[in-house]
Amino acid sequence: MSTLDWEAGTVKGSWRGLVLPVAALAVWWIVSRGAQAGHGVMVSPAQVWDTAVEQVRSGALVRALSASLARELTGFAIGTGLGLALGALLGISKLANRAIAPSFNTFKQVSLFAWIPLISVWFGLGDVAKVVFLSLAALVPVVMHTSDGIRAVPVNWLDVARAYRYGRLQTLAYVVLPAALPSIFTGVYLALIYSWLATLGAEYLLVAGSGIGNTLVDGSEQFRMDLVVFGVIVVGLTGWALNALARGVQRRWFETSRAA
Amino acid sequence: MANALTRVFLPAYRARRTLPGDTLRSIGWTALPWIVPIALALLWMTGSRYGWISAQVLPPPALVFETLGALLKNGELWIHVWASMTRAAVGFGGGVALGILLGGLLGLSRTFEAYVLPSFNAIVQVPVLGWLPFLMIVVGIGEPLKYLLIGHAALVPVTLSTLQGFRGTPRALQEVAAVYRYSRWQVIARVTLPSAIPVIGTGVRLAFTKAWLTLVVVELVASSEGLGYLIVYGRQLFQLDLVLAAVLIVGAIGYAADRLLNVFERRLQRGRSV
Amino acid sequence: MTTAIGQDSGLTLRHVSKRFNDDAAPPVLDRIDLSIASGEFVSIVGASGCGKSTLLRLIAGLDGDHEGEIEFDGKRVVTTDLSRGIVFQDHRLFPWLDVAQNVAVALRNAPLSKAEKARAVAEHVELVGLKGYERHYPHQLSGGMAQRVAIARGLVNRPRLLLLDEPFGALDALTRSRLQLELQRIWERERITMVLVTHDVEEAVLLSDRIVVMQARPGRIGEVIDVGLARPRKVGDREVAGLRDDIVDTFFTEAA
Repeated sequence: MSTLDWEAGTVKGSWRGLVLPVAALAVWWIVSRGAQAGHGVMVSPAQVWDTAVEQVRSGALVRALSASLARELTGFAIGTGLGLALGALLGISKLANRAIAPSFNTFKQVSLFAWIPLISVWFGLGDVAKVVFLSLAALVPVVMHTSDGIRAVPVNWLDVARAYRYGRLQTLAYVVLPAALPSIFTGVYLALIYSWLATLGAEYLLVAGSGIGNTLVDGSEQFRMDLVVFGVIVVGLTGWALNALARGVQRRWFETSRAA
Repeated sequence: MANALTRVFLPAYRARRTLPGDTLRSIGWTALPWIVPIALALLWMTGSRYGWISAQVLPPPALVFETLGALLKNGELWIHVWASMTRAAVGFGGGVALGILLGGLLGLSRTFEAYVLPSFNAIVQVPVLGWLPFLMIVVGIGEPLKYLLIGHAALVPVTLSTLQGFRGTPRALQEVAAVYRYSRWQVIARVTLPSAIPVIGTGVRLAFTKAWLTLVVVELVASSEGLGYLIVYGRQLFQLDLVLAAVLIVGAIGYAADRLLNVFERRLQRGRSV
Repeated sequence: MTTAIGQDSGLTLRHVSKRFNDDAAPPVLDRIDLSIASGEFVSIVGASGCGKSTLLRLIAGLDGDHEGEIEFDGKRVVTTDLSRGIVFQDHRLFPWLDVAQNVAVALRNAPLSKAEKARAVAEHVELVGLKGYERHYPHQLSGGMAQRVAIARGLVNRPRLLLLDEPFGALDALTRSRLQLELQRIWERERITMVLVTHDVEEAVLLSDRIVVMQARPGRIGEVIDVGLARPRKVGDREVAGLRDDIVDTFFTEAA
């Protein structure tokens, strides 16, 4: 048997992916019927479904999710904006990079969440504190990827710009920016993901206000497993949607005109 | 090595022989990275001294270091550091081991991958923190909670990079093995595995960053000892000097571990053409 | 920016030297003296390390740090200028632009109207034989095609001087031959002064009026050879091969 036979990919693999989830669901159903009804650790799929329906109908889901997303997108926007500016500065000016980058790199070594208690002292427990934290979470990858992308522009292309008498602004706009764009986009993509991850943590720790994280924590404190499972599913779906959105944009912008 | 853009933005840039002014310039260059931290430190010190910054908001640096020293001396710090590090080690170690196993299976067997990968990908959509409330109900807030969450945080990147490593064996090498009629096990041991190791190494390094991050959050939310606990404790008593001291240590350990893993990863990359 | 033939577009190098910071090592270029008349095709050949690419960069104005003088068209060469075009060995096309846009990169600072620019781009894309490929992206082109786009970009400004730095070095032999003949055709049509740097002696004999043979360590001119063969020349021509063999035997067989 040739070792290269492993290459055969199959379309019928697609149904096989469903086997595990379906089996798990079935096992869950059976086990939960055996256990006591009512809230507790073991909760049945039906209960989760009922809770889901209730959450949706009462508008609680929409409120919580939109609050979380609003904060996340605000933090994302602020962090990305500042990050682009700072990253561009560090990428373009060797002087600024030398002065600022070491401090920035040291700062980013500290696990982001460790700053939350401090932030809560300065900004309270509500939305402001959360947005500040989320902006930080988004800022870091944008700065890194923007400055790296700008500094990685090949000298060869800069030579071309010089050969055709491009001024500083022209070189930036027509050569540096397009060349660095894939890297910058990666940074922004990561910022979106990181700020979503940070949203959850922020809501656990900065408990004033409402959001999907709060729903989860409340459910956990009240031992309402059905609510928690529902929350987990919502969080998963939202994360997936954000990911898909970013990937879609990436595909449209970058794979039509450039080499893969 | 000159930044390529210096040619554009410092048009007078020329390679030339050393002049007296150069010594001054190179001193300035070496000192540059220190300007920001020193300026911030001075700002901090004078602010505290003159009361622009109240001790409640930001304690004077002297106090922070004093607290740090005291913690080190009376051994209390070690209890917490030890607690945090054992949790990190157990969770991280377990997650990496399982991740390599899982990733290996996924990478080597298309059948296994077909059944398991979609479910794995679905689970990955939920961030680690999303599982926190769920696990809190299931296993309570003791050590198992931390091990599971940190383990999960480490497992995901390691699995994915192991999968990638096993999958990404250069075709050229596979063909050489085919020409010399290697059996399946020989191929795995002598071709796939060695070429996968650097990729796995990178995944392990990434996993540690996530594991450490998760450790901090979990300790902030639900623990009675550890560095995260110290931070929360200090925060609740408004002893911000304690908070800052603990944050510094968190950063230092994370940094040290990351450097270590960096060296480790680079060792693995040696000889591999990128 | 058209130029009347016969106008003084000569290139003069006087005592051009360049050394890197390390004074102990021999200079990269050592007192190069050279005169090139308007409309001439001159090749510079030499083994690696003789400074020929460095010299080209100095003429282009990409590097201003040297001793001696470089004059073009009666003016000192200080920095880059649209009247001196350059084609690099790697095509250096921008991957996010298509063929037409890449050629237009050269025209951004040219004093032409939009319509004139569009016409120039179209003309030169056709000149290099790529009509119909205007909307293609670099990753869709072969090496030879990409290099043709680079040549079009180098010519679209109608420079009075075109510098070519081993433009065909990265291509396979078949494509190289084809593009050499293309270049000959373009030169015969446009009569732009061309300076070609190459390590391929046959290419130099094929295309040039004169060949400058350079030697390394320090980089200096060994000899300037008049080619004097009738055009159009083809790769298989006996005279071409003969002169190539002569040059190789004289300059490149003994030394390291």
